[in-house]
Amino acid sequence: MTLMALFHESTDTAEVIDELHNLGIPDHQIVVITGVPYPEGALGRQREWLTLPYIVLAGAAAGMLFGLFLAVITPHLYRLDVGGHPPVGFPPAAVIIFIFTMMATIVSTFLGVLWEMNFPRFGPAPYHGLVTDGHLAVIVDIPSQLEEQVKQMLESHHAHHIGEPEWMAL
Amino acid sequence: MAKDANPSAEIHRRWVLVVDLDRCTGCQACVVACHAENNVPVVGEKQAAYGRWMHWIIIQRYWEGEYPNVKARFMPVMCQQCTEAPCEPVCPVFATYHSEEGLNAQIYNRCIGTRFCGSACPYKVRTYNWFRPEFPEPLTEQLNPDVTVRTRGIMEKCTFCIQRIRRTEIDSQAEGRIPADGEIQPACVQTCPTNTLLFGDLNDPDSRASQLARSHRSFRLLPELGTDPGVIYLKGGETNA
Amino acid sequence: MPEPDHSPLDTPQSTPYDERLLLAQRTDAEINQAVLQPMMQTGMGFWVLVGFLSLVVVWGLYAWGFLVYWGIGVTGKNRPVYWTLFITTFVFWVGISHAGTMISAVLRLLKADWRRPITRGAEAMTAFALMMAALYPLIHLGRVWKFYWMIPYPNNRLMWPNFQSPLMWDMVAIFTYLIGSSLYLYLALIPDMAMGRDHTNGWRYRLYRALALGWRGTEGEWHKLHRALGIFSVAIIPIFLSVHSIVSWDFAVTIQPRWHSTIFAPYFVIGAVYSGLSALASILVVVRRGMRLQEFLRAEHFNALGKLVLVAGMAWVYFWFAGFIVEWYGNEPVVRELIHEEVAGRLSPLFYLQMSANLIPIVLLVFKRIRTTPALLLAATLLVNIGMFTERALIVIGSLQRNDLPFNWGTYRPTWVEISIVAMTFAGFALLYTLFSRVIPFVPVWEIKEGRLRYTVRRIGRLLVPTAAEID
Repeated sequence: MTLMALFHESTDTAEVIDELHNLGIPDHQIVVITGVPYPEGALGRQREWLTLPYIVLAGAAAGMLFGLFLAVITPHLYRLDVGGHPPVGFPPAAVIIFIFTMMATIVSTFLGVLWEMNFPRFGPAPYHGLVTDGHLAVIVDIPSQLEEQVKQMLESHHAHHIGEPEWMAL
Repeated sequence: MAKDANPSAEIHRRWVLVVDLDRCTGCQACVVACHAENNVPVVGEKQAAYGRWMHWIIIQRYWEGEYPNVKARFMPVMCQQCTEAPCEPVCPVFATYHSEEGLNAQIYNRCIGTRFCGSACPYKVRTYNWFRPEFPEPLTEQLNPDVTVRTRGIMEKCTFCIQRIRRTEIDSQAEGRIPADGEIQPACVQTCPTNTLLFGDLNDPDSRASQLARSHRSFRLLPELGTDPGVIYLKGGETNA
Repeated sequence: MPEPDHSPLDTPQSTPYDERLLLAQRTDAEINQAVLQPMMQTGMGFWVLVGFLSLVVVWGLYAWGFLVYWGIGVTGKNRPVYWTLFITTFVFWVGISHAGTMISAVLRLLKADWRRPITRGAEAMTAFALMMAALYPLIHLGRVWKFYWMIPYPNNRLMWPNFQSPLMWDMVAIFTYLIGSSLYLYLALIPDMAMGRDHTNGWRYRLYRALALGWRGTEGEWHKLHRALGIFSVAIIPIFLSVHSIVSWDFAVTIQPRWHSTIFAPYFVIGAVYSGLSALASILVVVRRGMRLQEFLRAEHFNALGKLVLVAGMAWVYFWFAGFIVEWYGNEPVVRELIHEEVAGRLSPLFYLQMSANLIPIVLLVFKRIRTTPALLLAATLLVNIGMFTERALIVIGSLQRNDLPFNWGTYRPTWVEISIVAMTFAGFALLYTLFSRVIPFVPVWEIKEGRLRYTVRRIGRLLVPTAAEID
């Protein structure tokens, strides 16, 4: 079953998560929702590995290739000579390639982060509105037999609003 | 097909215009002829005074000295058809490019009117259609069907009467020969009463234009800019440069 | 919540950190409301302002339609002055756009905490300034209905655009920067959209819900957002440096005297930073007053921003002088004539306006009193932008009036069409910004809360000082 609890501050939350680890509940069954980003490791959980940097690199490479195509290949496709310069010169090509690389980097960062977060996701999800008012929410999947033990532990760490999470439309 | 349309390219021509300043009287017949041949509009006195005249060839006049020792110096200036043209690389849509016969081509229906080429040209020989040109009746009867009539927003300039070059070449080819030296004449060359202007192929060492280009009187405008123009001036006497 | 420690050593005098301590005592819920409430209240003044700006924009659109229908001749352009107020204002707007990136990207990377309340306003300024700038390559076209020929796509004309032309570089660079700064603005906005979704109803709720994309605030989401913002901050810096360099190369790659100068790229970039930061300071003073954000935009922010403007101004003077001394000393005939026109000729009133409007604020901003008094800072920074606009006008229009053949020298007089269209973009920018301030929370609430996490109050001697933790 799923339980949600709200906390006023981060020390209590971190202790609760440690206790949950001690009870044998793995990280992927615990979700911590906050209105403010807490620093890495503050709440005792491991950072997940991201594919975002690789998406960005791939995007940048694609952008560079596209810029290369536009700047270096298209003048040879339909050739038109202009005075004083060869069809492909280094400075104009460098400018175009650089710009398209950066454009692709930016766009792929944005799309990559949306993809990794599975956004947009508008369906119902466990959430509580007080999160944006400064509370920290812990949502945990526990086997039913641990329910009482976990609830006691939560109360002893000053949790409030303990119960089944409401699935709000987001 | 490309070969048939452009016989000059096979012979590697480089068209040049020679202007003999010793002969120029400043009569401006060339200006009028160019207007007639190339459908160049007349903008009116007010617009011309503001610097918006459209003459593709213009007699540039400078006053020297103080009264009573005033001298007028004048020279006809048109697009110099530079080999290293500064106006060509800056057009974003390739409306101007360098053709194989050494001409700086201007494609009217490609021009979107950014006016970058006008700012880049050091001779400022490019003119712009600030408004839609008007040809009051019956001037419309006189329009040359070989040349596009441009609308507002388009840059234009002297093309060495490329329509005449092509027509002469096509007619000659139909007769099975190539045009002789001096057979191709832009409108200004044809009209000049004193034979100031001469048109020819600089790559042909025997053409009259080449011979005049080797004259000790020959010079080009603004040579220090490195544009390598295709218009060769011959130094004149008292009244001219 | 950090509590100040009241001991007998406390004196009733205010410390330099009082304002920040006050903010530290507010709850998150109070901060949310403090930011959301001013957005809901639209008084008479607001609607009068919106109405006036809309009128100017509509008049400008009419002028643009007039321009398209009759031709570029309705402006004051002529031969040889082919580029005038449109290109001047284009360069000006691109310049304004640089401040946003400086504040949000560069200061984020430098971990300067004072940037927190102003990043969104700065990024919005960038995005809107670029939207105004992007209009000008269309406005100044002679045949604007064929603008799409500049877009590289396979077509049956068998022609690609000319990528050697600086105008093509302009197009892709401005488009890239616009996309980049809009995405950056939006990405940093998502958590605040979630906050707005949770605290509003009606059309605002629907809008914020759509823009929040289902954000909850899980650790994974925050981690990914931080990573993406970090990458954005690094990536957008080369873009912003290159954009104004590319705009400067519109001029510097020609052989027009006084344009063909290698210093143009860094000169324009530093001028953009100077002008943009000043515009940002002006805007912040106005918005702070209009939206009652006094507790978020405090003296310390204006002080730091003022110091940045001062440094940018001094750098601008250096680059201006480095360009000027070389031109003056070289004595090339046309350059000499142009300098004479500028310093002692018909353009001299504009030149002295430019120099005084750029130099006086540098002197003024040395004084902390001026940096921290909003009204004085507004006056100084408005003066900077008057000077910078004049500077661009002198570079674009002044230089074109003289060239290598004296027969081709000319003059320029603006017409109502140009002035209306320039006014249209100023009004359009102000209108977009005004509407933005009522629809989107102006202050990045989550970043401020994140900043508060780092602060505790410590006693050093008799002072109670906020100290920042070294995290992230």
